[in-house]
Amino acid sequence: MEIIEKIKTNKSNENLTEIQKICLHKLQSSPLPNPKSELWRLSNKSKLSNFLDYSVNEKDSKFDIPYPKNSQSTIRLIIGENCQIKLIEKNYSIQQLSEDELQKYIKEQISNFDQNENWSGLLNLSLSCKNNILGLKINGSKIPPIEIFSHASSNSLNAKTLVIFLENNCDVELLQVNLGKENSSLSQSTFFCLKENSSVNHGVVSYGENRSNLLNSLNVIQQKNSSYNLGSLHFKFNYARFEISIKQSAGNAKTNIKGMQITKKDEQISTYAKIEFNGPNGFLDQINKSLADDKSHAIFEGSIIVPKIAQRTDASQLSRNLLLSNLAQIDTKPQLEIIADDVKCKHGATISQLNEEELFYMRTRGITLTEASKLQLSSYFQEIISFIPISKDKWDLLDKLLNEN
Amino acid sequence: MVNKNLVKDVVKEPYKYGFVTDIETEKIKKGLNEDIIKLISQKKEEPKFLLDFRLKAFKKWQKMKEPDWAALGYKKIDYQDIIYYSAPKQKEKISSLDEVDPKLLETFDKLGIPLTEQKKLTNVAVDAVFDSVSIATTFREELAEHGVIFCSISEAVKNHADLIEKYLGTVVPASDNYFAALNSAVFSDGSFVYIPKGVACPMDLSSYFRINSGDSGQFERTLIIAEESSSVSYLEGCTAPMFDTNTLHAAVVELVALDDASIKYSTVQNWYAGDEEGIGGIFNFVTKRGKCLGKRSKISWSQVETGSAITWKYPSCLLLGEESVGEFYSVALTNNLQQADTGTKMIHIGPKTKSTIVSKGISAGNSKNSYRGLVKMGTKATGSRNYSQCDSMLIGDQASANTFPYIKSQQPNSEIEHEASTCRISEDQLFYLQTRGIEFEEAVSMMVSGFCRDVFNQLPMEFAAEADKLLALKLEGSVG
Repeated sequence: MEIIEKIKTNKSNENLTEIQKICLHKLQSSPLPNPKSELWRLSNKSKLSNFLDYSVNEKDSKFDIPYPKNSQSTIRLIIGENCQIKLIEKNYSIQQLSEDELQKYIKEQISNFDQNENWSGLLNLSLSCKNNILGLKINGSKIPPIEIFSHASSNSLNAKTLVIFLENNCDVELLQVNLGKENSSLSQSTFFCLKENSSVNHGVVSYGENRSNLLNSLNVIQQKNSSYNLGSLHFKFNYARFEISIKQSAGNAKTNIKGMQITKKDEQISTYAKIEFNGPNGFLDQINKSLADDKSHAIFEGSIIVPKIAQRTDASQLSRNLLLSNLAQIDTKPQLEIIADDVKCKHGATISQLNEEELFYMRTRGITLTEASKLQLSSYFQEIISFIPISKDKWDLLDKLLNEN
Repeated sequence: MVNKNLVKDVVKEPYKYGFVTDIETEKIKKGLNEDIIKLISQKKEEPKFLLDFRLKAFKKWQKMKEPDWAALGYKKIDYQDIIYYSAPKQKEKISSLDEVDPKLLETFDKLGIPLTEQKKLTNVAVDAVFDSVSIATTFREELAEHGVIFCSISEAVKNHADLIEKYLGTVVPASDNYFAALNSAVFSDGSFVYIPKGVACPMDLSSYFRINSGDSGQFERTLIIAEESSSVSYLEGCTAPMFDTNTLHAAVVELVALDDASIKYSTVQNWYAGDEEGIGGIFNFVTKRGKCLGKRSKISWSQVETGSAITWKYPSCLLLGEESVGEFYSVALTNNLQQADTGTKMIHIGPKTKSTIVSKGISAGNSKNSYRGLVKMGTKATGSRNYSQCDSMLIGDQASANTFPYIKSQQPNSEIEHEASTCRISEDQLFYLQTRGIEFEEAVSMMVSGFCRDVFNQLPMEFAAEADKLLALKLEGSVG
């Protein structure tokens, strides 16, 4: 693990940015996460070390967006390639964040970062060079949907960072696509700051190839009356971690999350979600689905934190899991930590296989077992996929998933 | 509508079991080392295998670290500052209850424990444990007629050494965890129950634990064995006097159920919880586990946890036998500065095993109440099912309620369902009750008792009534 050695020795490179130096410093005392901690306990150690085996690649090879159906009305950006962005239209504007704004925001965020809990974020920021950080300020309404791509090249580790400010009253649809190439590692970190009254439909689709790895961390700060909707899908990664941290900084905000992870072969994909309510009247509706087949392992860990100040919070979290093989494994742990008394919080979890009665019914109607299973799966997937913005028609996600299952 | 001032008006009802019995006791010196363990073993005239068991456990304990994952805030325990053996002085051998020190009988009388055999109406056999030793066991002869063995574990070591050697430490091995290892090294007494094949125990069995000295810890060990097609219901109660120091209680309970056997284990735990500032109180760090070894065997835990400064326990079931059943019904109430981290582990190993978890947590005052549970489906647990329900009720805005369920499945042909909710006492319902002329406090206690109903229904009748009363007392004045 060349990277870890580098962090340990910390050969100060003059080309490093201030943020990279801060992050390296934070990681230096213990460059790897504590394998005994709750957040890393179930993580496959050899897969994590495989993630770190590749050397860092700062310059990408030429990248072709694999989905040709590009409609005129979509704005497409590729992290690492688009450096100068300035779009000012009548109703809206999308601009690059200034160096100062970017530095200030990231520094503020990492000041609260914990070596263990935010290890993926710290690693990302210590590796992300200036070119691979994209900072955007979005303002206005009637903005065309935005697609942002992040990708890793084969036999290397790529670190990409995205910072987005949504200004007051702004309303946007944004799809983030993380693509893993064969034998590659992608470290993706996203920071979202939703100002008052803003609203975003955020989609995250992470799609790997043979033996690709992903560490994906997402930090969202929601100000008053903002609304954050997240639809996420992770599949085909040898090893992937999706770490979500959402803070409703003054309450009175809405969060809807629908996420799904699909594991096959010997893959391991995990989702860690932490939602904090720092003000009253917060709302959360989260559902996370997993499907584990072959010898794979799917993990979900969610925590809802409601301190005393967050009265009248209404939060619910549901983890639904399908276990399709004798050798696969599912771990799920939805947690509630509550101090405020006037709250409605609930969570639920189920693990089972496909519903036999439904399958039987369909078969009595002349539908074959394979088709019946597909039908059931498609309804299982559809709930999540329909929540991912601008994906529905263009991306054929459902077909992709069904044909592979 | 709700009077906020009442929130601060914490429990007024004093802890009524807080008295100390002035009785001459025999204590050994403080501290823990091999010599102390040998001394305990020698005092109890134990066979060699047990001394070896203790010494082995002690060696393991020395290498272990005190766990801190539950994030319970308490001052570090000085294990060398505890007396590991304390017994009331009395005549060497007791042939009947008349020979028990009357002060002791009086103590148990005050606690409402029927030790005198005239009180046959209650039809409950009692084993009373005072500090480190068992004082008396009632109804022995009647039980013996059915072949049931119910005695203190020290007696069992002498009279039924084969059973002890066969089963002790098989469910909770000495190296299981820090407190289990400590208990294995120094356990002083406890109860032993053996139900022979085909016998349904004719009466409920009960043990009553009383800590009397302020500086001695209590380390009792309970072992219950239910042979094929037998059944037993066992009740456990605990109290302690009020001291401003913390006393450690680290017990181990092991249950073994063979084919078609069923064990029901109920606890009403009311150790002294410390005062309103959190001074004093018992640290209740207990390991309870049952092994459903046989086919169609069943172990059911029901508990009402109202006392202790800190409760840290997870009564668990290892479901090995085909079609075995594990159940866990719990009410945990915390008030003032109490902390409770409790829950269960249901480990499904055999096929077609079933488990049910119903946990109700009520937190008031500045207390912290957590449910922590594990449900695991092993690779061979085909056709197994689990259902868990964890509800928390918050009273006042200073208390916290946490839920940490760990769910792990390696068997596709099994089903796990978990649900949890958090709420507070509904103002509408309170208002309704009050319009019907029901006093505020009574209305609250009615609602709390309604909230806990699912669990109370599982308790033996006399316990259910006691538990209901206990909750009402504990919550008095804490609602606003």
